[in-house]
This record gives sequence, C-alpha cells and structure tokens, in this order.
Amino acid sequence: MSEKAIEPIHQFNIVKYFTFGNFGGNGTEGSGFEIAFTNSALFMLLTLLTISAFLILSTRGRGLVPGRMQLMAEMVYEFVANMVRSSAGTEGMRFFPFVFSLFMFILVANFFGMVPYFFTVTSHIIVTAFLAVLVFLVVVIYGFMRNGLSFLKLFVPPGIPWFIIWLVVPIEIISFLSRPLSHSLRLWGNMLAGHIVLKVFGGMVVALLGAGAWGVVAILPFGMAVALTGLEFLVAALQAFVFAVLTCVYLNDAIHPGH
Amino acid sequence: MANASHSGGPDPEAEARNRSRSLADRIAEAKRDTLVSEASANFRQREMTGMGRAFRFAAEFVAAILVGAGIGYGIDLLLGTRPWAMIVLLLLGFAAGVLNVMRAAAELNADASVGTASEGALPDDDDD
Repeated sequence: MSEKAIEPIHQFNIVKYFTFGNFGGNGTEGSGFEIAFTNSALFMLLTLLTISAFLILSTRGRGLVPGRMQLMAEMVYEFVANMVRSSAGTEGMRFFPFVFSLFMFILVANFFGMVPYFFTVTSHIIVTAFLAVLVFLVVVIYGFMRNGLSFLKLFVPPGIPWFIIWLVVPIEIISFLSRPLSHSLRLWGNMLAGHIVLKVFGGMVVALLGAGAWGVVAILPFGMAVALTGLEFLVAALQAFVFAVLTCVYLNDAIHPGH
Repeated sequence: MANASHSGGPDPEAEARNRSRSLADRIAEAKRDTLVSEASANFRQREMTGMGRAFRFAAEFVAAILVGAGIGYGIDLLLGTRPWAMIVLLLLGFAAGVLNVMRAAAELNADASVGTASEGALPDDDDD
C-alpha cells in the first residue's frame, strides 16, 4: 500500500471496465482493435453529463431577471462570446458553439481531475491531441472553403523580396504545422506535470508520517501540497481559457488569412 | 460621436431621438467593453505568471523543431536521401520555432499593453 502511495504515475493508469468487443484482427490474442469502456471514457461521459445538466437546468426558467444558476450560465456564455468576438471578429461567432464546447469540456474535465481519486482526462496526450487536431482541421477546411486558394496567402507574408520568399515560405509552413502540436502539448504538459507534482508532495507527507519522530517534518511538504492544490485550480481554469483563446486566434487566420 | 456634427439641423425631435439612441448605444457599448476588459484582465493577469509564459514559449519552440525534423525524416524515407532533408528541415524548424516564440511574445506584449491602456484596441473588431 505504501508503494502505491509514492508512485506518482499510478493515477494515469487506464482501467478497462467492460469491452464492446474486438474489431478486425484474426482472432488470436492481441490482434485487432479493442473498443473498451475505460475510466477515461467514464470521466469524459461524466464531464458531458455535468455540462449538459448545468446548462439545461440553469436555463430552464429562462427568466428575464436571471436567478443565480441562470446568471452563472449567462456569464459563461458572455465570457466565451466576448473572447470569440475580440479574437476572431464578429464573423468568428459562427464558431461560437465549437469554441464554447471545447472550453466547457476542458474546463470541467480539468476541474474533475482536481477531485481526489478522480481521473484527469486531459492528462493523456491522445485526448488533447485529438482536440488540437480537430481545431486544426476546422481551420484548414474552413479556410479553404471560405477563401479558396487565397488561403495559401497565409504562408506568404506581404512585403518580402523574391529572393527570400523561398526560405520564408517553408518556415511559415512548418510554423503553421507545429500549431496542433504546441496546442496539445501545452494543455497535456500542464495537467500531467501538475498532477505528478501534487502526488509527489502528497507521497512525501505519507512517507514522512510513517518515519516515527521525523513525522514532524511532514508539515513542510504538506504546506507545499496545499499551496500547489490552489495553483492547480488556477492552472485548470487557465489552460482551458488558453486553449480556447488559441482556438479563436487560429480560427481568425482561417477567416482573415491576409495578415 | 456623430451627433455633434449634425447639431445644425432644425428638427429638435429627431435630434433628441438621435441623441437618446446614441446614448443607449453608448451604454451598451460601455457595458460590453467593461465585461470584456474585466474578464480578460482577470485572466490575463494570471497568464502573466512566469511559469505559464515559460511553458507557452517552450511548447511553441519545441513543437516547431519536432515538426521540422519529422517532415524531414518523412521526406528522407520517401526519397532515400538519408540525412539531408532532415538536416535542412531541422534547421528550418529551428527558424520556425524562433518565429513562433517571437509571435507568442508579441501577442503577450500586446495583451499586456491592452490591459493597462485599454483604449482604442477594443472597438475595432470587424474593420480589418
């Protein structure tokens, strides 16, 4: 048991609850593609249910003078709407549902991760990478749909002499392609590192308490763990916000590629 | 702002209507602006924490290098030009990383100056 307490990676283990079956493969063990309902899936589902319940219940009254819950829902709406409007312009508002969904999903998933014994969905890079690639594909597809081939002007900054352009365009392309990577790395890295550090300090408290007279020293990592918990709540909200803001910035490129 | 220049007109009723409408507009605008600046200042101040900024720059920089090296490796595999495309694209990725960091820094600087000055930057949403 004490071994489990000091192992800070244990919290990220994926546990299969039940499986929907094996797809493809030739029937031997380990071949094919298994689709299982895991703890990650469970917490994604809980996240969705929480968001839906919050928004549906809080807006059910639709009072002209909002109650407390309705006010909270309206404030979240206003917050995201202003963010989209100020980063991507009025035309970006057609992507409001997309950005709002991303923001709420990441925010609630991050906060779920702060509850002890809960699983942090966004601490797995496959989740954040999927979200970032989704944003990337929306930007590319909508950019070409709206601007046609002039979307490629994004890679050619204005006012560059012809003898440098062949060097600048590959750099711009790599910079553009690196977006989904940095977009996903940031959220994943913050959540992973934060939770590992929390577990490490928590484990130090437990280990020191078990060490007899030295248990008095446990107050030091305990204080650190308390401070870090506060910091992690901040990071959870902040990373959801940063992810959504960068989504807006990228969408702005799809709408106005001429910058 | 526009109603001052039209004050020479002889129709006081229209002028009053015009003025009250523009007052309502201005109230709505002021409300919206305070909401935006409150919310964003609230968060942006926190984004200014050193660790958040450092992580942002690190991610931007590393991502570009990794993507450059990855593309170069792919080209090498396709064309059989073992080290060369990867070397060139790694260097280009490095340049792209520097570009990313410069852009991120410019963005953060712009945010910081919006937070303190807060004038002029917000109203022009859709004319560029």
